[in-house]
Amino acid sequence: MRYLVIGRSIAGITAAKEIRTNDSLAEITVVSEEKAKAYYRPLIPFLIDREEIDIFFPDDPLEKYGVKTLHEKVTGLDVTAKEALLSSGKRLGYDRLLIATGSRAVIPEVKGFQGEGVFPLRTMDDALGIKSCAKGKKRAVVLGGGFVGTKVSAALRHIGLGVTIVERCDQVLPQRLDRGGARIVAEAIRKAGIGIVLNDSVSEVVRESGTIVSVRLSSGALIDADIVVIAAGARPNTEPFRSSGVQVGKGIRIDEALRTNLPDVYAAGDVVEYVDLVTGELSVSALWTNAEEMGRIAGRNMAGANIKYRGFLGVMNATEIMDIPVMSVGLIEPEGSGYEVVVDDAIGTYRKLVFKEDVLMGVVFVGDVAHAGIYTNLIRNRIPIGSLKEEAIRGELGYIHFVGTVPHQTFPA
Amino acid sequence: MKQVFVIPERCMGCRSCEIGCAVQHSKEKTLFSAVLQSPPPMKRLFVESTDAIRMPIICRHCEDAPCLRACISGCLYRDEKGFVRRRKERCIGCWTCIMVCPFGVVTRDREKHIAVKCDRCHKLDTPACVAACPTGALVLVDIDDMPKETRQRLVLAGQKGVG
Repeated sequence: MRYLVIGRSIAGITAAKEIRTNDSLAEITVVSEEKAKAYYRPLIPFLIDREEIDIFFPDDPLEKYGVKTLHEKVTGLDVTAKEALLSSGKRLGYDRLLIATGSRAVIPEVKGFQGEGVFPLRTMDDALGIKSCAKGKKRAVVLGGGFVGTKVSAALRHIGLGVTIVERCDQVLPQRLDRGGARIVAEAIRKAGIGIVLNDSVSEVVRESGTIVSVRLSSGALIDADIVVIAAGARPNTEPFRSSGVQVGKGIRIDEALRTNLPDVYAAGDVVEYVDLVTGELSVSALWTNAEEMGRIAGRNMAGANIKYRGFLGVMNATEIMDIPVMSVGLIEPEGSGYEVVVDDAIGTYRKLVFKEDVLMGVVFVGDVAHAGIYTNLIRNRIPIGSLKEEAIRGELGYIHFVGTVPHQTFPA
Repeated sequence: MKQVFVIPERCMGCRSCEIGCAVQHSKEKTLFSAVLQSPPPMKRLFVESTDAIRMPIICRHCEDAPCLRACISGCLYRDEKGFVRRRKERCIGCWTCIMVCPFGVVTRDREKHIAVKCDRCHKLDTPACVAACPTGALVLVDIDDMPKETRQRLVLAGQKGVG
C-alpha cells in the first residue's frame, strides 16, 4: 500500500508514525515544502531571542519510522489517476492520501506591506528572518495581539527593541481568553514595556526610499517603526486542493473517520473543518494538540482501523506570558441564557468557571493553573459534576473525587 | 513490568510518600539537607482525601499519555523502561501538560519555569514513595504476577473498597 502524506508538521508526522505502526509493509512518503528537518512549530518565536533553543524533533521521527521525505510543493490532485501534482511537474501516485497542510498566515492587504522589513510568523524561516532583520533595529510594530503576536512581542522586547502591539479587537488574545483574563495579561505585557493599542489596525506601512520609518493606524495615529510583524491569525491551507473537487467549508470537510468526500483522501490538523465539542458547531482548530490527535486517528484509519473522531475543543490553550501562567479551555465567554458564570479574581489570580446546569463548559485560569487537567477532562467529556460544584469553584477539585470512575478518554475507541 | 499500585484503605494519610519523593528529588537526597534546601524540593505525588477515601494520587505513566501527546516542545518522552519523563532542557513552561493531565499530577516549578512530574525514580529499583510508605498502601508489583481480578479491584477500589 502506498501512502502519501502532504504536510510534515504534527498531524502529518503522527499519521505517518501510526501508519507504520499498523502496516509494517507500508510505503510511506511525506511531502513538504519546508526544507528544514521536522520541528515544533509552537517554538519558533523563541528562535528570535533564545540562542540555546532547539526546535527540532529529538529523534527524526520520519527517519525512525522509515518514511520517505520529499521537499516539494503540491499544487493539486488528480483524483482519477490517484496522483498528487507537484510544482516541479512530477506526479506522485498514492493508494491513500492524507492532506495535512496546516494553516498559513493571514496577510491583510495593506499599503506598504510589500518590501523589506515586513514578516509573517508561520515558519522557521520567518522567525530567522525576523531575528536577522531585528539586529540593530530599534522599533517594532506587531500586527495582532493573539498568541503569536504576544510571543513575538515578548521576544523582540527581550532583545532590546521597543514594541507596540496593534490589535483590532477590544482585548488581547481575542477568542482565546475572556475579557477579565485578558485585562490581567495586558497589564503584565504593558509592565514589560510593550505598548498595546486596541480597537485599531494598521492602514499603512510608511517607507522612505524603501526603508520602513513608521506605521499608520486606521485611527490616524503614527507609530515609529523599523520592522513589522504580521500576526493576524491563520487560515486553513486549502489552496492546492481547491480544484480537486474536495469539499471545503471553513477548512476541508471530513467525516467522523477523517475522510474527505474524495475516495481514499483523508485530512487532519489545522486544515480541516470539524465539530467543536463545546459549541457543537463546525469550526477550525489551530492547535498542536488537536492536530496530533487527528493525525493519530487519521493514520490508524488509513491503515485499516475504523476509529471515530468526536471533535476538538476549539479553545484549549495554555501558555506563560511575562511569567504568568495562563490557561483557557472550552466555552470562556458564553452568550445567551442558561449559563452560570463564577469569577474569582480576589488574590492575584483569576479563575473563571462556566457551567451549564451541572456540566462544566469552560474555565479560565490566570496565575495558578494547578490541577487544570481535571477541569479539562470534565469539559471535554461533559462529565456531570453533581455535588462537586463547590469544590470546583473553590479550586479544590482533585482526582480523588473521581477515583474509581472512568478516568479519561483521550482516544475514542 | 513492575507497576506502582495504591491500596486506598491502607493509606493513613501520613504523607511519608510525599516526603520520600521530595527527598529523592532534592540535591543531596537526605531529609536533613532537603528540609534546608531553598527553594524546597518538589514532590511528584499528592495525598488527597474526601470524606470517603484517602490515597496518594500518582502519575500512571499512561500508555495513552495525554501529557506526552500534547507536549508542544519535545520535552516529554517515553524512556526505554516505559516511563514518561522530561528532557528538562526542552521544557518551555507552556503548561500544556498540566492542562491535559486528568490526574492533576504535573506541577509547575515556579523558579525554573518548567513542568515537574514523576520520573518513577528510574535509577532506583524501588521508587522512593513505595519505599517510604509504612503501611503498604503503595506497592510495587509485577503485573504479570497479579491476577486480573486483583488488578481490577485495585483500580476500582475507590468505589468498591478492597477486602
